[in-house]
Amino acid sequence: MNKINKTINFIIALSLYVGLFYFVTTRAIGVKLDFTPYVEYRKVIFNGWIKTIEVSVLGVLLSLIVGLVLYFMSQSGVLAIKYVAGIHKTIIFGTPLLVIAIVSYYYIGNAFSVDSKLLVGVVTLGLYIGAYISDIYKGAIESIHINQWQTAKMFGLTRAQTYRYVIFPQVLKSILPPLAGQFALTIKGSALLSYMALNEFFNEINVVQSSTFRFAEGFVVVSIGYWIITVPLIIFVRKLEERLHVRIIK
Amino acid sequence: MNLKLDHVEKYYDDVKILDKLDLSMKNIKVLALIGPSGSGKSTLLRLIAGLESFEGGNIVLNNQSIDKVDLAEYRKRIGFVFQDHNLFNHLSVINNICMIMEKVHHRKHTEARTEVEGLLKKFGLIDHKDKQPHQISGGQAQRVSIVRALAIQPEVILLDEPTSSLDPVLTFEVLKSIETLVQDNKDVILVTHEIGFARELADYIIYMEEGKIIEHGATNILEEPQTEKLKIFLDKVLSFH
Repeated sequence: MNKINKTINFIIALSLYVGLFYFVTTRAIGVKLDFTPYVEYRKVIFNGWIKTIEVSVLGVLLSLIVGLVLYFMSQSGVLAIKYVAGIHKTIIFGTPLLVIAIVSYYYIGNAFSVDSKLLVGVVTLGLYIGAYISDIYKGAIESIHINQWQTAKMFGLTRAQTYRYVIFPQVLKSILPPLAGQFALTIKGSALLSYMALNEFFNEINVVQSSTFRFAEGFVVVSIGYWIITVPLIIFVRKLEERLHVRIIK
Repeated sequence: MNLKLDHVEKYYDDVKILDKLDLSMKNIKVLALIGPSGSGKSTLLRLIAGLESFEGGNIVLNNQSIDKVDLAEYRKRIGFVFQDHNLFNHLSVINNICMIMEKVHHRKHTEARTEVEGLLKKFGLIDHKDKQPHQISGGQAQRVSIVRALAIQPEVILLDEPTSSLDPVLTFEVLKSIETLVQDNKDVILVTHEIGFARELADYIIYMEEGKIIEHGATNILEEPQTEKLKIFLDKVLSFH
C-alpha cells in the first residue's frame, strides 16, 4: 500500500512539471515542437553527449584527487603550501566557472602551449570542483570526534594509517550526499566548456539550433541528455549511501 | 612496575594542571589514582601513557624515561582504556582489536583473529564479536576496550575512569574484567572513583587534589589516612556506601 501511495504521489508531482512544461511551450513558443532536425543530427549529438560523459568522468576523478591534495595542503605545517591552497580556493570560490573556462583555454592553455581542449577542459573542471570538494573533505574529517584520533595515536597507528583505517572509512558515508551534488555540478558545468569550442553535448546542440532554428527542441534535448547522466548518478550514490548505512545498522 | 615522577609539571594554556609532582614507587602491581574531579588524575595518566607532553620534569616508567624514548614506540607497549571506550565506530568488535594487532604489531590475520577470539571468549564477549560498537552496551564496549588493551600484550595497562559513565550493573561487569587483568598478573594503573574496588585490588594508592599529590602509600592509607584532605575526601565518598 505504501508503494502504491508513493507511486501515485510521484505521478501527481511529475504531472505538475509536465503541465508546466506544456503550458510554457504552448504559450511561449506557440508552435508545435518538431524534433526531426535533431533526429537527422543524432550522430553528432550523440558524439557530443559521449564527449560530455568523458569530460565529466575524468573531471570528477581529477576533482576527487585535487580536493584531497588541497585538503592536505591546507593542513600542512609549511605555511607557503597552506597559503597556496587558500589562494586557489579563494580564486575559485570568487570566479564563475565560465570565466575560468575561458581564461584556462585562451590564456593559460595558450601560455603553456596546450592545444588539447579535452585536456584543458578536464583540468579546469578538476581544479574548479576540487576546491569545493576539499571543503567537503574538511567538514567530514573534522566531524570525526577527537577521541578517534587519540585512540589511533595511543595504539600506535601512524598518521597515514589513521587516515586510511580510521578516518576515511568513517567519512566515506557522510561525504557521499554532498559529493553526489558536486558530481552533478561537474557534469552540468561541463556545458560551459563549450566556450572553449570543445565539441561536447551543449556545444553540439547549439550548432544544431543555429542551423535549424529549432531552439526550444534543442533545450528539451539538452535537458534530457543531462538528466540521463545525472539522475542515475544521484540514484546510485543514494543507494550506496543506504547500503553503507544499512551495513552500519546491521 | 616501577614508576618515578620527577618534578612533573603540566599546563593547559596558562593554567597549571599538575604542580611539580614527585613520587617514586617500585615493584607495584596495581596503582590506583583517586581524588575529586579536576584533581589531575586523568592528566597524569595520559602523561604516563605518553599521550600528552608535559612542560617540566620527567616520568620514568619501568626504567623508560619519557623525555628520552621514542614516544610512538613507547605507546605501543602501553595498553590504554579510555573513559568512553573510544572504540572505532566503523569497525566490528573483533576488527577493532585485530586491526591494531595486524597494522601496528604486524601479526598475521588468522593468528590475530584466533587470539582475539580467545580473549573475547574469556571476557564473555564472543557472541558480540561481529557487532558494531553502537550495537552493544556501554559496559560491553568498555570490556571490549579492555580486551583491546590486553591483546597488544602491553607492559602496563592504564585505565582512565573506565566505569564513570556506566550504571551500577555495567560497572560491576567492567570491574570484574579489570579483576581478571590483575589475576592474570598484569601491571595496572587505574584512575577510579570506585574506592572500594581500589581498596580490594590496588597495592598502592595516590590521592590527588588540585594538581598535587596529597598523600600516597600502600592501600592501608584508605583505612588510616594521614592527611586531613584525604580523610575528608574518604568521608564524603564513603558516606553513602
